[in-house]
Amino acid sequence: MEAISHAGTVLGVLAKDGVVLAAEKKVTGKLLDMSGSKEGGYGGSGEKIFLLNSNVISGVAGLTADANSLVNYSRQTAQGHLFNYNDDIPVELLVQRLCDLKQGYTQYGGLRPFGVSILYAGYDPHYQFQLYHSDPSGNYSGWKATCIGANNGTAQSLLKQEYKDDIGIDEAVGLVLRTMSKTMDSTTLGSEKLEFATLTLDADKRPKAKIYKPAEIDALLVKHDLAKKDEDAEMRAA
Amino acid sequence: MNSFADRFSTTGTAVEQRRIKEYVADEEDVSDSMWGSEAGFGTIAHGTPNFMVPTVPDPSAFLRLHTDDHADPSCRIKIKHGTTTLAFRYQGGVIVAVDSRATAGSYVASGTVKKVIEINPYLLGTMAGGAADCQYWETYLGMQCRLHELRNRERISVAAASKYLSNLVYNYKGMGLSMGTMICGWDKTGPAIFYVDSDGTRLKGDLFSVGSGSTFAYGVLDQGYRWDLTDEEAQELGRRGIYAAGHRDAFSGNTINLYHVQQQGWKFIGNYDVSEMHYNGPTGTAGYGYGVRVEGRSSANPPA
Amino acid sequence: MDISFALTGKGYVLVAADTTAARSIIKMKSDEDKIKVLSPHLLMAFSGEPGDTVNFAEYVERNLRLYHIRHTYPLRPASAASWIRRSLAESLRSRSPYSVNLLLGGYDTATHTPELYWVDYLGTMTSVPFGAHGYGSYFALSLLDRYHDPEAGLEEGLAALRRCIDEVSKRLVVSPGKYKVKVVDKDGVREIEL
Repeated sequence: MEAISHAGTVLGVLAKDGVVLAAEKKVTGKLLDMSGSKEGGYGGSGEKIFLLNSNVISGVAGLTADANSLVNYSRQTAQGHLFNYNDDIPVELLVQRLCDLKQGYTQYGGLRPFGVSILYAGYDPHYQFQLYHSDPSGNYSGWKATCIGANNGTAQSLLKQEYKDDIGIDEAVGLVLRTMSKTMDSTTLGSEKLEFATLTLDADKRPKAKIYKPAEIDALLVKHDLAKKDEDAEMRAA
Repeated sequence: MNSFADRFSTTGTAVEQRRIKEYVADEEDVSDSMWGSEAGFGTIAHGTPNFMVPTVPDPSAFLRLHTDDHADPSCRIKIKHGTTTLAFRYQGGVIVAVDSRATAGSYVASGTVKKVIEINPYLLGTMAGGAADCQYWETYLGMQCRLHELRNRERISVAAASKYLSNLVYNYKGMGLSMGTMICGWDKTGPAIFYVDSDGTRLKGDLFSVGSGSTFAYGVLDQGYRWDLTDEEAQELGRRGIYAAGHRDAFSGNTINLYHVQQQGWKFIGNYDVSEMHYNGPTGTAGYGYGVRVEGRSSANPPA
Repeated sequence: MDISFALTGKGYVLVAADTTAARSIIKMKSDEDKIKVLSPHLLMAFSGEPGDTVNFAEYVERNLRLYHIRHTYPLRPASAASWIRRSLAESLRSRSPYSVNLLLGGYDTATHTPELYWVDYLGTMTSVPFGAHGYGSYFALSLLDRYHDPEAGLEEGLAALRRCIDEVSKRLVVSPGKYKVKVVDKDGVREIEL
């Protein structure tokens, strides 16, 4: 729990036509080799936001090694459901499976619980778009907008103020970015400190997860006027 | 098995026969005029009557040994079995339709078989079962029909022709013949169809279908059949019957041959490709195929 | 030999099965229900080896009910069908395989689509607009190729079903007398008198 409250912030907002996830990256630095994440399969650096199944993305906060293990478990679970039922796993069911696992580690002595909180953004035909949160004890709950990790209290009160029902995906993206920029320790936002993803429906009404690539994140920040101020450019404009 | 005992017995029919044979052979007094009946002992003198059969001890066992692909899939001769044929009687005559696929086991041996045998200008026979059996005996039936015409100065009735065939195949019963045929024609009584098979069954009726695909043809035929069909409707129904079987039965297909029997004799209507019927239909505008017919239609029922 | 038919129409699936339970040459019962209601929007007609059929149907029924209770919503027809198919496929390679053929008719309330699946004892599954098991299939399939309409209303659908049943009565040597007919649509499952 201690580790989680210090982990990078992960923030999720549910909109009527999609879900938005954003995460703050803590492990950064000029010497970190990021070349793998520029054109990576699903985009992102793969540190905090993961694609669990074609209809579910997750953002993790806590011990990265534990998180990787849980991500692997949930991907296996989702494929197992697809194998048996020839259909994407319902979001809540996936969350339940993961929580059953997490709960198991709280029940017996000698085993260390997973030190991870997770946000899940998903879609299924039963309840359409959904946003869930699970903690290390195996508790889970559904949210319209929530936040985990460092400064989550601040972020949650910000979200509570700004969130409106019937919010659209574009508004949700703006809300997430603004809240993120106010919550994060660093003064400026940029792709080296941020992971970002959305879940929407494509033209055939099938869920489409998009985990943004670094360049796409920067473009998005520029669009929402939250990008690092490039002083040279400002000078030139002036 | 009793032949050894019979040869030396002094009582019973075998002894009678031996005595008569000796009498016919020895007796000089048997006049020439008696030859026809062998002195009135014709049949007895020569034993029971015989047919021309292969010179093997048991012809039917021999045939079975070499053709039964259930017992031995590698048997040398495979008899053509899969087929669909149909014929029905209606106000305007008789419609005869058949497919053209020949299969030997799972092998499609030919796709251009003529399964309607033109016995004479007023009689058609269909072919299901052994191709050779049908072809040979129905051609032979054609010969006999012509002889009947020459002898009696009138055409043979459909009933008589079919009876001739059924009697003929009945004599070969149990010897391995395999035929399921419909003898169709027009005689003094009007249009007529008789179903004749190698069991010796002979049935008069309005609507028959024979072969492995017959059930599929019946499904379409029964539901679309009426006595007062027009010629066009009747021909369409025949085509659709064979199409249905060609589509659903793996042993039937390729093309459809369609005949129409009327008072002035039979007429060949045409040859139709089953795939062509599936996609485009006979006129090229409306395919028979289910997928083609319901294209774009959906059972989904979202609230308006 | 059991006979079962099923067909889809505009917003519904019709499932019909004969009602005879026979043993050897004897009719033991003439009002046997061979169509199980698996969930509020799912029907299953089953046929095959006596004993296996009911046992398997009940096994499926209880498992789907358990899923419904656990998750508060039932499996959708496509998922239920996949699960049932997998059960059969696993059973096939077990010491005592189930010999059961199925027709699964369901209404997917999420997409408002009627769905029909043809499943055999080998674990073959296919989604079809109409289907049949038993000797009835030899007569009904070509007939439905000709007369089935995916957009038919309930009355038209019943007329097509009646054609199938009449054809079997006309041509099949040992045709069964009575059929039970059930329909599933947006309102759920109900029985229909032909």
